[in-house]
Amino acid sequence: MRNIPHTHPRLFLKIVVAILLVRVAIGPLVVAFADEPQPDPAGIATGDKGATLDAGGNPFVVAQPTDKTAPDFAKNKKAFDEFQAQAAKEPLAMKLADNVGHLRIATNFSWTLLTGYLVLFMQAGFALLTCGLVRKKNAAHLMMLNFAAYVFAFLAYYVCGFAFQYGGAAINAAPTNLGGTPTLSHFLLGSGLWGFLGGKGFFLSGPAYDAGSLCLTLFEVVFMETAGYIIVGAICERIDFWAFLLCELFMGAILYPMFGCWVWGGGWLSQLGSTLHLGHGYVDFAGSTVVHGVGGFCAMALAIILGPRLGKYGPDGKPRAFPAHNLAFVVIGTFILLFGWMGFNPGSTLGSTDLRISVIAVNTNLAAVAGSAAGMFLWYFLFGKPDVTMACNGMLAGLVAITAPCAFVSPSSAVLIGLMAGVLVCLGVLFNERVIKVDDPCGAISVHGYCGWLGAVCVGIFADGTYGAGWNGIGVTSYLGKAGQGVTGLLYGDYTQFFTQVGGATLMAVYAFGFTYVVFSLVNAIRSMRVSREVELEGLDVPEFGLPAYPEDELVAAEPAGSLARA
Amino acid sequence: MPEKRRLPNDMKRIDAVIRPSKLDEVKESLTAAGVTGLTVFEVKGFGRQKGHTEMYRGTEYTVDFQPKVLISVLVDDDLLEAAVKAITESARTGRIGDGKVFVSSVEDIIRIRTNERGRDAI
Repeated sequence: MRNIPHTHPRLFLKIVVAILLVRVAIGPLVVAFADEPQPDPAGIATGDKGATLDAGGNPFVVAQPTDKTAPDFAKNKKAFDEFQAQAAKEPLAMKLADNVGHLRIATNFSWTLLTGYLVLFMQAGFALLTCGLVRKKNAAHLMMLNFAAYVFAFLAYYVCGFAFQYGGAAINAAPTNLGGTPTLSHFLLGSGLWGFLGGKGFFLSGPAYDAGSLCLTLFEVVFMETAGYIIVGAICERIDFWAFLLCELFMGAILYPMFGCWVWGGGWLSQLGSTLHLGHGYVDFAGSTVVHGVGGFCAMALAIILGPRLGKYGPDGKPRAFPAHNLAFVVIGTFILLFGWMGFNPGSTLGSTDLRISVIAVNTNLAAVAGSAAGMFLWYFLFGKPDVTMACNGMLAGLVAITAPCAFVSPSSAVLIGLMAGVLVCLGVLFNERVIKVDDPCGAISVHGYCGWLGAVCVGIFADGTYGAGWNGIGVTSYLGKAGQGVTGLLYGDYTQFFTQVGGATLMAVYAFGFTYVVFSLVNAIRSMRVSREVELEGLDVPEFGLPAYPEDELVAAEPAGSLARA
Repeated sequence: MPEKRRLPNDMKRIDAVIRPSKLDEVKESLTAAGVTGLTVFEVKGFGRQKGHTEMYRGTEYTVDFQPKVLISVLVDDDLLEAAVKAITESARTGRIGDGKVFVSSVEDIIRIRTNERGRDAI
């Protein structure tokens, strides 16, 4: 019996898959029989007086204290009794509170969905940016990669990605701004404070077919799509389309959702504050590491497996330049990404009732412009002219780096973070190209990978405690001796947060790079993911898709031959 | 045996490689000199000075070919010197890269619409 994995590997694999499928199938049945929250697909039961809060986040409804041993039990019991008495005397006020709670949730729904649509628009920005940065003969190929990335990663996320990432969200990370999604309450792998993979909501059915849950889905799927298109920037101009689809399915189904579960789905990294007393646990507000870091380091692994483009490195190892074919696209794409980031960062509050959104929006912009300025000035000092593409990459680097700390830092810190990112991205591009000789046509590894890591670490340095009280369940009433103290970094007195951030960010890099490298080395060994030499030299537009992006360059006649014969 | 017909050597073709920015000036001065038509090609090329180096994202690359414009006109012998002078005067800037003029003789010219040949077809 013990020998089966070795003597009958296929049988063993089938047994494992069967067990997992049975667990997944039984889950919903257990829900149906147990006394669990029911999904609310029409949205008619989401948001009541329990969701009504004041500006300070204090609930209208006073909860019944359950822990008799708590020191302020008597005070809380008195407050509860008074509330119950008043509720009995003023039933109309209680009904109004139900309406207000619903309105609060509704406001947050529209915020979350609209900012999600802004992030969706970033797809267009990235498509333009990357298309402009490559050679003319591959323009249609780049556009198709970006387009197909959205299509296939989304489908993978629908099948299992969302379930893996948020299937257990209600356990430790219920999004109260959207009604709490109480039906997403089970970890497939792990449990309690040590969750590794969610287990509810496969095919967005059953527990996930719920208004609040699907609101969360829309917002989170476009974030996953961001990681999905980041890899395009590093693997373009030589990857085979079928291999690319596999990369996108991998990203949407497991690579992104697993780390996303650890940090945002209530998984173990977010609970390190409770389990190991490490600050507020690992904190990443809008995804410097969850989105950009994972995308960047996945891209790095794929770029290394694929190898550089033909002709990129001469026989002496010196790099050759392949200049961008359309700088207008590059700049427009960058502006669209900046605009979309106004959804990416402020939207991550999941509610406009959280007024920190204005601080987040300003911090995001400050880091963007500081990053771009740093890129322009550094390049000017190094090479004598400010490079347009590095100005754009500098802005994106600043945006990536501020994505994790944007809610927790002051505007001046945001500028500093942007400046650091602008310098890092320039050095990163030179390092990748000249030192480790990893061919990255659009700088995706430097912008998203390196600066994503930096962003998470900056939370641990610059977070000033003005926001985030109760983050990941830590310090609900007070933290570091101060009431209402939020997420705090090294410069403001919390060194454990710094070490947690460095550790978590580095783990992200190892995870994304390692997991991708193992899986796709295997894929590449079975069949090469790279197009043939002839196809790469001709350009992938026609051989892969039958359509040149600029047909006038290819055809001699304006009209197809023979089409006017009868005119 | 029929004699091999020998056409009079009285038509010339002038090809001039010039800077793209000089095209309008050259066209004006050719028209003023009495030239009735011309053909323009967008070309790339280099002369004795070759190209120069540029930088893209920290990597040097050489620009071997400069964009140029090639103008092709057909003239009577009588108009040859005036046309060449028109081109050289209007295309000159004095800097490297001004271009060159090539003169060659033409075997025959045929107007497609009317089938005229020779000097009548210019």
